Amino acid sequence: MPRHASPVSDGVAAAALPTRGAGRRSARVRPYALTGGRTQFGHVLLVETFVAAIDGPEDRLEILSGDWAERVMPEMRAIVELCRRMRSVAEISALLRMPLGVVRVLLSDLADQGRIRVYGTGHAPGAPDHALLERVLSGLRRL
Amino acid sequence: MRKILIVGAGQAGLQLALGVQSKGYEVTLMSNRTPAEIRNGRVMSTQCMFHTALQHERDLGINSWEDQAPRIEGLGVSVTAPDGSRPIDWVGHLDAYAQSVDQRVKMAGWMETFAARGGRLVIHGVAVSDLDYLSRTYDLVLVAAGKGELVSMFGRDDSRSPYDSPQRALAVSYVHGLAPRPEHPDLHAVRLNLVPGAGELITIPALTTSGPCDILFWEGLPGGPMDVFDGVKEPAEILRTTLDLIRRYLPWEYDRARDVELTDAGSTLTGRFAPVVRNPVGELPSGGLVLGVADVVVANDPITGQGSNSAAKCAASYLDSITEHGDKLFDREWMQSTFDRYWDDAQHVTKWTNALLGPPPEHVLGLIGAAGQIPAVANRFANGFDDPADFEQYFFEPARTAAYLAKAASAQS
Repeated sequence: MPRHASPVSDGVAAAALPTRGAGRRSARVRPYALTGGRTQFGHVLLVETFVAAIDGPEDRLEILSGDWAERVMPEMRAIVELCRRMRSVAEISALLRMPLGVVRVLLSDLADQGRIRVYGTGHAPGAPDHALLERVLSGLRRL
Repeated sequence: MRKILIVGAGQAGLQLALGVQSKGYEVTLMSNRTPAEIRNGRVMSTQCMFHTALQHERDLGINSWEDQAPRIEGLGVSVTAPDGSRPIDWVGHLDAYAQSVDQRVKMAGWMETFAARGGRLVIHGVAVSDLDYLSRTYDLVLVAAGKGELVSMFGRDDSRSPYDSPQRALAVSYVHGLAPRPEHPDLHAVRLNLVPGAGELITIPALTTSGPCDILFWEGLPGGPMDVFDGVKEPAEILRTTLDLIRRYLPWEYDRARDVELTDAGSTLTGRFAPVVRNPVGELPSGGLVLGVADVVVANDPITGQGSNSAAKCAASYLDSITEHGDKLFDREWMQSTFDRYWDDAQHVTKWTNALLGPPPEHVLGLIGAAGQIPAVANRFANGFDDPADFEQYFFEPARTAAYLAKAASAQS
């Protein structure tokens, strides 16, 4: 796939990266209470951790055009759109062409806001799941 | 609410994260390891913290191990002669106790506290590309990870960095079973043993994952007899080599160390680094600015045990600068003045530490010798580890040393 193809495979427009300074203030998000799937010590988002959006049909409209959409970075909206089906952290990074550390920070933010749920890795500690590794690998190949 | 991103979960990064968090800022902390990985990993330092640094922790209510860690009431200096005798041997008393808590215990615990208090903890080894992107969405980005790629953003300040290579080879072992010095069976003290021309052995009572312990810490001059730890990976081998050197050069310390055991599989650490002062403001490829914290910008040799003290003082100073700045932009000018305010105090640590790395001049030998005869001199020297600015008064200039010693001697007689 060409590196700069704009619609990625799931039909989600790759977010145009805003320029520095533009919308700096509006990029802030409202502080949220500590709920929404947090473990005691925060979310440990491994590359193979699965996440998915928590939203109903009415939320979808809000994501695209509502209050929330106006307040947050386009990257946050793009992640929530992409996570309408379950995704691994590595897939999100690959599909949106965003550095892994950025994806981890934004996902933590979204999880704190109750926008996404963190599902874990689908395997017991120390026992990697073959199908999962295939999916992560295919995500990485799309980098 | 102002958003702050802190990269690095060591003494400075975490203390600052917990500090700004307590002032109501929205904080994201990025660490390359989870609390469990830190707790089960390798020791990171020796961290004997003196009163001022400990007080900064108390001020934030994060002195969680104060009741369990040994209270270090003294700091002793011993010098060995070629025949194995001890021509200089004294202990100074600290005005307030020092403590050393294994950073595996403290940092893991503080990370959990930070998350429990509502902080956002993200586990990720941060690269410049991450910061380039993230700096847009935070009001302030602080880099407190003293090792790795990010440090390259901060240029070396040649005028403040007299050394361009490591001045000591370092080898640390955490042990159980070190007996007290027989002359002070009830006194917990840091012991600084000097082997002229070869290196130093520092022993520190501490608290680790398995309870109270002691740290054996060799500082060897490069190419000298203690510079033998390169390539030694096995913890048991590091301890064996440490003890062999103690037996050979410091028989009085070997007497109390012969039965020690390592505290755990991660209880040893070896390495070396060149002391350096860097420019405090880092510029990202897209033009964003980040401020370096503690050993990212001022890294001294551990011979004076100041690393964690400096980290605590830097975090406390930056916290004041951040809160006093209110809602104004954290621009380059603010970053530079924030560092300058820290450097006001930190410069004394760097000057004194760099001085101790070289061969001691005649007047310093005289001072260390006189401390054995005049307890007030020993006490002042010991308390200088808490406030290194005091060395400015009597340590560097031969005339000032002579004047101080004359005054101290007449006060005693």
